[in-house]
Amino acid sequence: MHELGVVFEVIKTVKNFVDKNDLTKVDTIVLQIGELSSMIPKYIHECFPAAIDGTEFEETKLVIEIIPAAAICKGCKHVFNIIKHKSQCPECESLEWGMLTGKEFSIKEVIAC
Amino acid sequence: MKNFKILEIKEGIFDNNNKEADLLRAELKQQNNLLINLMSSPGSGKTTTLVSTINALKDEMKIGVMEADIDSDVDAHTIANTGTKVIQLHTGGMCHLDAEMTKQGLEGLGSEGLDLTILENVGNLVCPAEFDTGAAKNVMILSVPEGDDKPLKYPLMFSICDVLLINKIDAMGFFDFDLEAATTRVKKLNPNIKVFPISAKTGEGVEAWTNWLRGAVKDWQES
Ligand SMILES: Nc1nc2c(ncn2[C@@H]2O[C@H](COP(=O)(O)OP(=O)(O)O)[C@@H](O)[C@H]2O)c(=O)[nH]1
Ligand SMILES: [Mg+2]
Ligand SMILES: [Zn+2]
Repeated sequence: MHELGVVFEVIKTVKNFVDKNDLTKVDTIVLQIGELSSMIPKYIHECFPAAIDGTEFEETKLVIEIIPAAAICKGCKHVFNIIKHKSQCPECESLEWGMLTGKEFSIKEVIAC
Repeated sequence: MKNFKILEIKEGIFDNNNKEADLLRAELKQQNNLLINLMSSPGSGKTTTLVSTINALKDEMKIGVMEADIDSDVDAHTIANTGTKVIQLHTGGMCHLDAEMTKQGLEGLGSEGLDLTILENVGNLVCPAEFDTGAAKNVMILSVPEGDDKPLKYPLMFSICDVLLINKIDAMGFFDFDLEAATTRVKKLNPNIKVFPISAKTGEGVEAWTNWLRGAVKDWQES
């Protein structure tokens, strides 16, 4: 599955971080996924147990924070949700806007010791 | 009770792989080895295209091939029959290759002295698009039976490729594939992409593609 390779990549990055910072145990990994990223959080959660199976992260939990798809209108500077308002400014109906957030796909932090 | 604390990482999920890919690309540049990452859906004609490409170029340059088709070494045998250096990579069920696996593959192949190495990636249009392998150029094959609307369904793959080979044009009469519509859709996603309609089976159009490839090897080695 598409998401599995990505979850392996997450584990690899966390492993590097753990080694570099001499950590002994990772309790939680926190990911940030934008509403407009190509990743589906539900599938990431489903792949996670397979990716940590037999690794030092077997007891690690996964938390996914969803980042809204936000845009700022070029006309009236109103900030709105792109998905909810179907790519159109709800204030002035302009279709000209710049994306602020929503394409993120990153490892935000770990809770570890 | 251990003392857990929050440690910020703030790294994009592909950052690590992207870094490894850039290092590998720089290394291959030093070695004058042009690595091509060849991608498509299963059955689009990657192996058949490889064979006709190798036969066109093997007398003028040293070529190596890495095969990553899942759990099968049929393709590696087909390539070996052309007399080219080839290695079968075992991806362990993964749906793509990353830079680290590609690097290991090159070591296994023994890539020193090669002018051109072609990686036949896992047949899939989603995952390989997101993982930079360290290749200098990305090439994809879309075959006529798959339909001219594929670019609409897999926009990322079409955006990251340098070359699109439209294969099986000998079968054009049997399918309602609109070459112009396909080209327009692809160019809209990726204005710089080179499009070559070919038939790996009959050899039609293959020369334009191998000419491009010959030029790419020359540019890579001389720039
Ligand atoms: N008609 C036609 N068939 C082709 C062409 N290229 C490949 N094929 C056939 O398509 C099938 C899959 O080709 P293959 O090279 O194994 O695809 P791969 O899975 O992408 O490596 C084989 O039966 C080939 O003979 C072509 O240009 N025209
Ligand atoms: Mg093949
Ligand atoms: Zn507005």
